[in-house]
Amino acid sequence: MSTKLEVKNVSYEYSPNTPFAASALTDVSCAFEAGMITGLIGHTGSGKSTLVQMLNGLLRPVSGQILLDGRDIWENPKQLSRVRYRVGLVFQYPEYQLFEETVSADIAYGPKNMGLDGAEIDARVREAAEFVGLEADLLDKSPFELSGGQKRRVAIAGILAMRPEVLVLDEPAAGLDPIGRETIFDAVRAYQQAREATVIIVSHSMEDMAKYAERLVVMSESRVILAGTPDEIFRRADLLCSIGLDVPQITRTMMRLSELGLPCRTDIFTIEAAKEEILRLWGKERENA
Amino acid sequence: MTDPYLQIENLSFSYPAQGEGEAAPVLHGLNLQIERGSFVAVLGRNGSGKSTLAKLLGMILTPTSGKIRMGGKEITDPALTEDELFALRAGVGMVFQNPDNQLVATIVEEDIAFGPENLGLAPEQIRARVDSALDTVGMRAYAKHAPHQLSGGQKQRIAIAGVIAMRPECILFDESTAMLDPTGRAEVMQTVLALNKEGITEIFITHNMNEAVLADRVLVMDEGRIVLDGTPKEVFAQADTLRGCGLGVPQVTELFEVLRQQGLPVGEPVISEEEGAERLYALLNQ
Amino acid sequence: MLKDITLGQYFPGNSILHRLDPRVKIVLTVLYIVALFLAKSMLSFVFILCVTVLLVLLSRINLRVILKGMKPILFIMVFTMILNLFFTRGEGEPLVHVAFVRIYREGITTAVYMLVRIVCLLAGTSILLTYTTSPITLTDGIEQLLAPLSVLHVPVHEFAMMMTIALRFIPTLIEETDKIMSAQKARGADFTSGSLLHRVRALIPILIPLFVSAFRRADELAIAMECRCYRGGAGRTRMNRLHMHIRDYGALVCMVLFGAGIVVLNIYTSRIGYGL
Repeated sequence: MSTKLEVKNVSYEYSPNTPFAASALTDVSCAFEAGMITGLIGHTGSGKSTLVQMLNGLLRPVSGQILLDGRDIWENPKQLSRVRYRVGLVFQYPEYQLFEETVSADIAYGPKNMGLDGAEIDARVREAAEFVGLEADLLDKSPFELSGGQKRRVAIAGILAMRPEVLVLDEPAAGLDPIGRETIFDAVRAYQQAREATVIIVSHSMEDMAKYAERLVVMSESRVILAGTPDEIFRRADLLCSIGLDVPQITRTMMRLSELGLPCRTDIFTIEAAKEEILRLWGKERENA
Repeated sequence: MTDPYLQIENLSFSYPAQGEGEAAPVLHGLNLQIERGSFVAVLGRNGSGKSTLAKLLGMILTPTSGKIRMGGKEITDPALTEDELFALRAGVGMVFQNPDNQLVATIVEEDIAFGPENLGLAPEQIRARVDSALDTVGMRAYAKHAPHQLSGGQKQRIAIAGVIAMRPECILFDESTAMLDPTGRAEVMQTVLALNKEGITEIFITHNMNEAVLADRVLVMDEGRIVLDGTPKEVFAQADTLRGCGLGVPQVTELFEVLRQQGLPVGEPVISEEEGAERLYALLNQ
Repeated sequence: MLKDITLGQYFPGNSILHRLDPRVKIVLTVLYIVALFLAKSMLSFVFILCVTVLLVLLSRINLRVILKGMKPILFIMVFTMILNLFFTRGEGEPLVHVAFVRIYREGITTAVYMLVRIVCLLAGTSILLTYTTSPITLTDGIEQLLAPLSVLHVPVHEFAMMMTIALRFIPTLIEETDKIMSAQKARGADFTSGSLLHRVRALIPILIPLFVSAFRRADELAIAMECRCYRGGAGRTRMNRLHMHIRDYGALVCMVLFGAGIVVLNIYTSRIGYGL
């Protein structure tokens, strides 16, 4: 396992030297493993959105480094646009950034800025549209005619078309219904597997993270407070609750069950795991009876 | 003993045809009664017609056919005068999805005063209503703040305060939590429950089942029709129908469903983690 | 970042200036500006500076905040000073004479006067109005000052409502612009290099989403307002009605005295021959 992107002792402050100055990141360090989906969780104002904007050089750390494949992305500020093509960032509610006359032109905006030729751009637009499940007949429509969920997918395709090695998404499923959420996460996973991309998903939905993330980084009050595999993180469900995060309902049910006095595991965060645990306990109960 | 606040008869709605396309029907002959003082959640995926229903009830759209009676008055009567409509609007508050796009004023208390000011109340009366609305949503300390300094959940509570300052009998929430983070959602849900206790009829449109669980009654809509109607327990017991409508069930409900499939005598469906844990405890500790 | 702009922003407080009636403050500002342009002599400029400093102290707003608010127009200030410095022709010998550049004593004084005037104009108006008056109170003030005009079918209420909504949405739209810019930068947009034409074209991906969003917001807001029974100014009352207090009359008297003081100082200095 190798580290693709590393955040080293990064600090950041908003509006420095003004009455509105506020620390957004305090000595943050964390590493994102190559080819994995990492979930970045924390409540609003924990600094996760700031951190995300550091990863592709939109914000410059006051101190510390962001290392992409071991090299500081600020080593040569003139090359920053190259970093932005390699680390694709999808903002929250990205559908509000669509501007072109047709869906395909909008998806092509990034690749065009990269200076690719027409045939290559076409191929990438088609590939990206496929990842997010946009039907071919939508490509010539105006993005403003589409439904909310479709617009969201167009916006994500606009980033995928740049073929980033690292894909960062800030709350990609916010405001969508269950089917919409699933479509988005499936698209992200399809891209990750096809391109062996490193994926970072910012979310406050622990249920989604339990389902999709292979690693988790937890932020609170401008700091990283936990990092590890979902098993390791959800074992600390009490800590997650105490910093105002919403642990999955299934985890809370198991925690309550253990509080009632039943010796059961509480590091459970999927229905499948809960089923196994209950069946195990049921088997034991049967034996005793 | 029934005291219907809302009665919907054979309500249909189509958006007008655009260009050569056909008129797209959104609601098909809806029939519905809602009790005064109840808290009804309307669940449905995007495009199920739930938001159109909200807009019809909020008098933003007029139905293609059918009737809506609210508080004994028919709000769909085409003979209604401007002044009558104005009076009806005061009785039905609406809280929308985007908290930013419903606040008018640059100071919180001025925004809450906006509705009562439109009603032409006396200044002292407006002041009293604004203060009590601020207390109800627990935002008294923010009376002099600017909306953009508040979090999403706080803005949404101000929007709710702006509505309750008009003393409506009924409040419609049109996906009012969709853009909020978990803390914001919790704040809004707490306010929604508190208002219901004060006797306000609430219709809460959402696609989040964890919120729908808190209601007295859940309606599930799909393709312009009401597919399921009942208490949260009754509705969430129909996991397959819900999935067919592009919705899910709470995790604990799903757990009980799989356990039942495995042959465990788990009994009735559950919807809350508290009840789920107690039932599992009883089952495993016989 | 766009968010750092403080000029035109309101700083909540409870100073005497904060508590003045907005209508009075508007009148005061007009009088203050007139007084500024009446000033013609060294003494009257000193007097203006003193009064402006007094206003700053009365407002209890940090001087640094006020100076920082002037940064965006620093260029205009320097430009005006240079123009006055080089292009004012005086009587007598120039102080500096290099090639075609001539600087006269009058040039220096005019440049300094101009600077004092601009600084005081900005500091005074922002302290009297924007920094100490919430935008909504200011709008109320304007609405009520202009109310008599509605008899002549001037849409005073509509104008005030438009102002209120604009003020309400400026921070939201600034934040949104920041966000859209970042998002397009993440797709490789470049707003800082290339020819002017290139840079103007680079703005399209920002302006279109911004307009689309502004229209969507306007649409939603209009519906929300209608649902809250808004139907124009007719039949509408206000929670906060404006009342004149003793302090308001006092402030008016002070400002008139200030204007009179400047006129007197002008006459006095011209008598003793210390004019421009």
